[in-house]
Amino acid sequence: MPADQKFNPIRKGLLEFLILQIISADKVYVADMMKRLQETDFATQEGTLYPLLSKMRREEFVDYEWQESDSGPPRKYYKLTAKGKSQLAEFKDYWAYLNTTINQLGR
Amino acid sequence: MNTVIIINLNGNAFHLEEPGFQSLRAYLERAQVQLRDNPDKTEIMADLEQAIADKCARYLRPHKNVLTAAEIDDVLKEMGPVQTDGATPAGATGGEQPHVGTKSSAGPAPKRLYQIREGAMLSGVCTGIAAYFSIDVTIVRILFVVLTVLTGGLWTLVYIGMMLVVPFANTGEEHAAAAGAPFNAQEVIDQAKKHYAEFKDSKEWRRHWRQQRREWRRRWHEGAYWWGHNLQRNVHQFSTGAGYGGHLGAALLIPFLAVFNALLFCLWIAAIVSLATTGAIFGWVIGGSIPLWVSILILMFIYSVIARPLRHARRAIYFNTNGYNYLWFAAWYEILSTGVLILVCWFAYTHVPQVHDFFQHFVQNWSTMWNNLIDSFRHTVSHKPSDSWLDAKLSGAAAAASTAFLALRR
Repeated sequence: MPADQKFNPIRKGLLEFLILQIISADKVYVADMMKRLQETDFATQEGTLYPLLSKMRREEFVDYEWQESDSGPPRKYYKLTAKGKSQLAEFKDYWAYLNTTINQLGR
Repeated sequence: MNTVIIINLNGNAFHLEEPGFQSLRAYLERAQVQLRDNPDKTEIMADLEQAIADKCARYLRPHKNVLTAAEIDDVLKEMGPVQTDGATPAGATGGEQPHVGTKSSAGPAPKRLYQIREGAMLSGVCTGIAAYFSIDVTIVRILFVVLTVLTGGLWTLVYIGMMLVVPFANTGEEHAAAAGAPFNAQEVIDQAKKHYAEFKDSKEWRRHWRQQRREWRRRWHEGAYWWGHNLQRNVHQFSTGAGYGGHLGAALLIPFLAVFNALLFCLWIAAIVSLATTGAIFGWVIGGSIPLWVSILILMFIYSVIARPLRHARRAIYFNTNGYNYLWFAAWYEILSTGVLILVCWFAYTHVPQVHDFFQHFVQNWSTMWNNLIDSFRHTVSHKPSDSWLDAKLSGAAAAASTAFLALRR
């Protein structure tokens, strides 16, 4: 779907919350996240994702643990922290609020 | 056929084609720079390397264990440029073709003057300037030569100054800054590719220059060692003439060389001192208008030309003693020459009134010498009275001259 370049900043800002949403379902590793995002409008690359994840971990929204994999080296599996969960809830509330605001303004 | 380089990516070994290696190195250097202030830099770099390693592994088969340059470029394109918080791009717009920011996140790339060793003839000052102004390095070199001639050699000081002050471009980022190129991952890859192509094309030239330099060096050595080799041969014949007699001969030649070398050194120092204080070598006025500093440089040169072959002869003796008492000979030589040096100094101090006077008023004489030297520089440079920037330049030149002299002695 060809999306307007003007929406780039919006997608950029939302990426962090989308990652929170992906992680909230289950523990995931980076290749999983990429695969999920790939199908959406928010496809991203490792060069962006790794620094972002490290920042989110520093801010204590996510954490990871090492897990052995059948194929290849051990992987980092990310999961949400309590702080991350409340952040995600807050974001969802805010998103709903934005939606109603936008819709009401049009009337 | 391509050169292959083995690298270690977070603990995994890979074989890469040389151009691919250059691209990868440029990418990782760029990542390092982007993450330089990031507290988790080491960890992110390890993650990135692991991700690259995983992607690289996909291209390997049982009978294909080398990654081509094109494959590395694909891997890096898939990785995307490393971006930190402030400049996180939205990623892909359509999914397949990731959007890579054309503008560098750091705004306009800073342009700085560097010395570039690659393709340098001396130190890389000219190559750096050529990169800075994006002009051909040959033009810069010709300009430098013309300026040197026009300023009567003063431009050499500027060159030496730049050599000492201007930093060397070491990392890919510095190379980019030297040329003022925007520093963006994709462009770095492109540049690495371009440079490699240019490098291949310029190989012929490089070989030519290398041969040229080797030739110069060879000629210089031949000239300087001309009689050193003769002496060496004679010494060799003399010392290997007969087993025991040969050793004896060497042992006798050593003191001769030691005394001669020590005397030569004393004579040389005395000549310089006398030239600098009185403007004449032991009363002999050098004709014409050769400035003091030039005469001193000539003296240094003459000394090194004479001393070089002597040193060679000495080494020849050391090695013709079958090696087993090499140290003994060396120690013997050092003790003798130091002894002679002290002896000569003492003798001169007690018996030659000029030398005695010189040491009595050493500080004053030293400053006289120095002032004479500076004055001679000033006369060469301009006929205007002293200005202070010149003093700074002159001390720089003096330092450079002594460095050159030390390098020659080696």
